[in-house]
Amino acid sequence: METKHNVSIEDRFGNRGTEVYKPVTEKEISDFLKKANEEGKSVSIEGGGTKRGYGGQGEAYDWTLSLADWKGVVEHQAGDMTVTVRAGTTIAELQTFLEDYDQKVSIDPCWPDDSTIGGVISANESGPKRMNYGSARDLVIGLRVVYPDGEVIRTGAKVVKNVAGYDMNKLFIGAMGTLGVISEITMKLRPKPKYESLVLLSVEEEEVDTLRSLAVSIQDAMIEPVCLELMNPQLSKYLTGREAYTLLVGFEDVEKAVKDQEGWMEYHKPASAQMDVKQEEDAREFWKAFSKRAPNALDQSDGETKVVLKTGSKPMEAFSIIKEAEKIQHEVSVQVESHGGLGHGISQLVVSGSEEGIVSFVDQLRKYAAKQKGYVILKHLPTELRKSIDPWGNYTSGLFLMEKIKKAVDPDHTLNHQRFIGGI
Amino acid sequence: MLKRKKNKREGMDPHIRSLMKIVGEKEILYKPEDLLSYDCDGFTVHKAMPKAVVFPENTEEVSAIVRYCHMNNLPFLARGAGTGLSGGAIPLNNEVIISMVKMKKMLHVDLENRQAVVQPGFVNLKLTHSISDKGYYYAPDPSSQYVCTIGGNVAENAGGAHCLKYGVTTNHILGLEVVLPDGEVIELGEAGVPDRPGYDLMGLLTGSEGTLGIVTTITVRILKSPQGKQTVLAYFDQVEDGSRAVSDIISAGIVPAALEMMDKTAIEGVEAGTYPVGHPPDIEALLLIEVDGILAGLEEQVEHILEVCRKRNVREVKVASSEEERGRWWANRKTGFGAMGAISPDYLVQDGVIPRSRLPEVLQNIYDISRTSGLRIANIFHAGDGNLHPLILFDSRVPGETEKALKAGTECLKACADVGGSITGEHGVGIEKKEEMRFIFTEEELEAQMRIREVFNPYDLLNKGKLFPTPSRCMDVKKIVKETVAVK
Ligand SMILES: Cc1cc2nc3c(=O)[nH]c(=O)nc-3n(C[C@H](O)[C@H](O)[C@H](O)COP(=O)(O)OP(=O)(O)OC[C@H]3O[C@@H](n4cnc5c(N)ncnc54)[C@H](O)[C@@H]3O)c2cc1C
Repeated sequence: METKHNVSIEDRFGNRGTEVYKPVTEKEISDFLKKANEEGKSVSIEGGGTKRGYGGQGEAYDWTLSLADWKGVVEHQAGDMTVTVRAGTTIAELQTFLEDYDQKVSIDPCWPDDSTIGGVISANESGPKRMNYGSARDLVIGLRVVYPDGEVIRTGAKVVKNVAGYDMNKLFIGAMGTLGVISEITMKLRPKPKYESLVLLSVEEEEVDTLRSLAVSIQDAMIEPVCLELMNPQLSKYLTGREAYTLLVGFEDVEKAVKDQEGWMEYHKPASAQMDVKQEEDAREFWKAFSKRAPNALDQSDGETKVVLKTGSKPMEAFSIIKEAEKIQHEVSVQVESHGGLGHGISQLVVSGSEEGIVSFVDQLRKYAAKQKGYVILKHLPTELRKSIDPWGNYTSGLFLMEKIKKAVDPDHTLNHQRFIGGI
Repeated sequence: MLKRKKNKREGMDPHIRSLMKIVGEKEILYKPEDLLSYDCDGFTVHKAMPKAVVFPENTEEVSAIVRYCHMNNLPFLARGAGTGLSGGAIPLNNEVIISMVKMKKMLHVDLENRQAVVQPGFVNLKLTHSISDKGYYYAPDPSSQYVCTIGGNVAENAGGAHCLKYGVTTNHILGLEVVLPDGEVIELGEAGVPDRPGYDLMGLLTGSEGTLGIVTTITVRILKSPQGKQTVLAYFDQVEDGSRAVSDIISAGIVPAALEMMDKTAIEGVEAGTYPVGHPPDIEALLLIEVDGILAGLEEQVEHILEVCRKRNVREVKVASSEEERGRWWANRKTGFGAMGAISPDYLVQDGVIPRSRLPEVLQNIYDISRTSGLRIANIFHAGDGNLHPLILFDSRVPGETEKALKAGTECLKACADVGGSITGEHGVGIEKKEEMRFIFTEEELEAQMRIREVFNPYDLLNKGKLFPTPSRCMDVKKIVKETVAVK
């Protein structure tokens, strides 16, 4: 196990320990946690390090457990359509491996080259195509988790359907590493689509409501897009060169079915919309650029503060969130690049500008989202700012149960202490 | 008048009187003869009498009942339609049964956001029926869907034939209102908004077999019906060819909406049942395969499936020529369990899951179990998911045969566990498979799950004695050690 001592923890995003351990076996993870637990050390868990700016009031931990070297595919039976991988495997490594079998893990989170599957699952990250394929929580069927006392607990199984006992997988997906260290992950796979394309529809600001109506009719029609993502003009400008609201409608199926649906789009698009279609490799290239646009904690450069917001709402409310964000950005003088999933209700906004501007942007958007029964959390922001903005917001039903779960699983707060909602 | 009424209730159990005050006089059963039909659910091997059955009409009443039970140390449990196959709704401890059948309203449909809000007693198929005129449906389709409740589906994380492509119940639940075992009401996934920050309590509740809380409102995802469906029926002379065709279809990159299999004994059953379709009596296995989606793409997929079947020596393969024919094939399949009644006085349904590629060998093991036990076993199952349903045919009037059937069932589950599978894919553990939990989980793993139960249900009054094996010595000792440490 590679070990680094006296590591400097002076950086913008915190969530680091002065000693960094990089286990290469599960036993090392287990021994490490046992020791930490016995010695009362606080541990911060890290995968690729992209999400160090995600949650956490405590800046520093005693130790960091980095899973970056705990990687690789453990088991893959093509005919079973399941794969078991170690937590430190990056999304890109996993997809490349599966490519040879014409299979894929159908999640499309940010920064596939750097994000590890363990981190993605722990943060329940997903992307635009969750509309059709589901989110991380829908794909995980089994885990090996090292509990804070070093015990290895298996949850679920390597089968696609299973209701034996509680669905303990769910406990660790999205738990931000506060309950256990995910060591191995078994997931359902899908065949790689036989063909894919991406329809881009752009309209001027005053016409944006036509995209909303279109999204409603798409969903009411018998076509099956894998995503329905609305980009604001700034993000669209960066990715397409066109400063206009742009709706991304993806299709993945056999070629005939994809073409058929492109035809539907051509026929039903708003008169004022400009339509482009990216086929196959061009579509994949677009998604690559899309997934890398938001900043992450690996980028330590100084300069303007950038934060990343995730909002959740009813699916079609994502439209009004994106619009409202445009309004607020002008009022508080920040810049926003955003996209919202009209088929799933998750939006992501990158906000840059002065710290006061960002604080009041978040505050106003939170108020707006709350009115629609939605929420805003911050996925990426510097430690300093986490003191003035609670990344998780202040309300969640059932928090007392979550506190009790934390107490039952990690009574000494060994893991990622205070990284999560309500200071869990 | 008033006085006489009072007399009538004299001698009545005071708890019954109090519960009556909460739900009203007509919404409670407590006389032994009225309670008889609540002594078991779809798992009929075990029976026990409840203390009473109450029929609340809203969340407030459920909460008041639960609070009363909690304060008075009365065991209680929720019951939907009682179709559960693992004994989850059986009142092992003389429970007060809280029947959800009067809470059966659809509260809200929001097509734009593709969600519907229902009460837990709402019947599964009714949901699809209520929205089908607009072209929408609810995907999870257990074969019992014409009677089972969505609350029961949530509790069991029910699956169905079309879960292969669309996922099981947990993938379609967006929000839950839950009455906790002390009567407190919480809302999870409010307004059906996804990914709310915090631990995924909704995911934990789903499939917890009514041991963590009582679900009183459910927000589900609804889907637009596919543009087209094509259904294929394939007859095989060898079981092995049929099961290899299953793997081949999956490996070919096709995602069928459903991929079901029946073997010879099962076919004999369904052909003797209410919906025979004229399957040849001498085939060894059949596959029922459905693809759905964009019409323009279906033909290619069907061609591919036909080709795979031919390569696996299919005797005959056909595509449903009309919606009516398709409907008949599905009715034949979906009433399959009940149809076993036509060829056997009793049957026990098992529910193991295996990695799909192990299908041929596990089926062989099941046939061996049938041979050594001397009991016929019919297999009718979700092959595409690797979810087996061996139906063990027996006659409970023959002394010792029930025990034999139970033993054969356990052996089938062991065969699944031994290839890295699970002991239940959709029917739940209940009381039936409690001990078999040890086939797949270690003592520590079971304890990790029990710790979660303690968080939600610390006094274990809600659905006690389900899901987990009777504690072994090792665990008792551990507990004592823990307690002594705590005292120190
Ligand atoms: C012929 C037949 C075919 C079947 N086919 C399938 C199938 O294809 N797929 C499948 O998954 N299952 C199948 N089942 C099993 C069964 O129908 C399902 O498990 C169903 O989900 C049970 O629903 P129910 O309303 O009957 O629940 P019940 O049997 O009444 O209860 C089941 C469990 O849920 C709990 N419960 C009920 N309501 C609530 C609530 N509101 N809150 C909390 N807990 C609650 C009960 O305490 C109990 O533990 C089949 C059963 C039969 C008889």
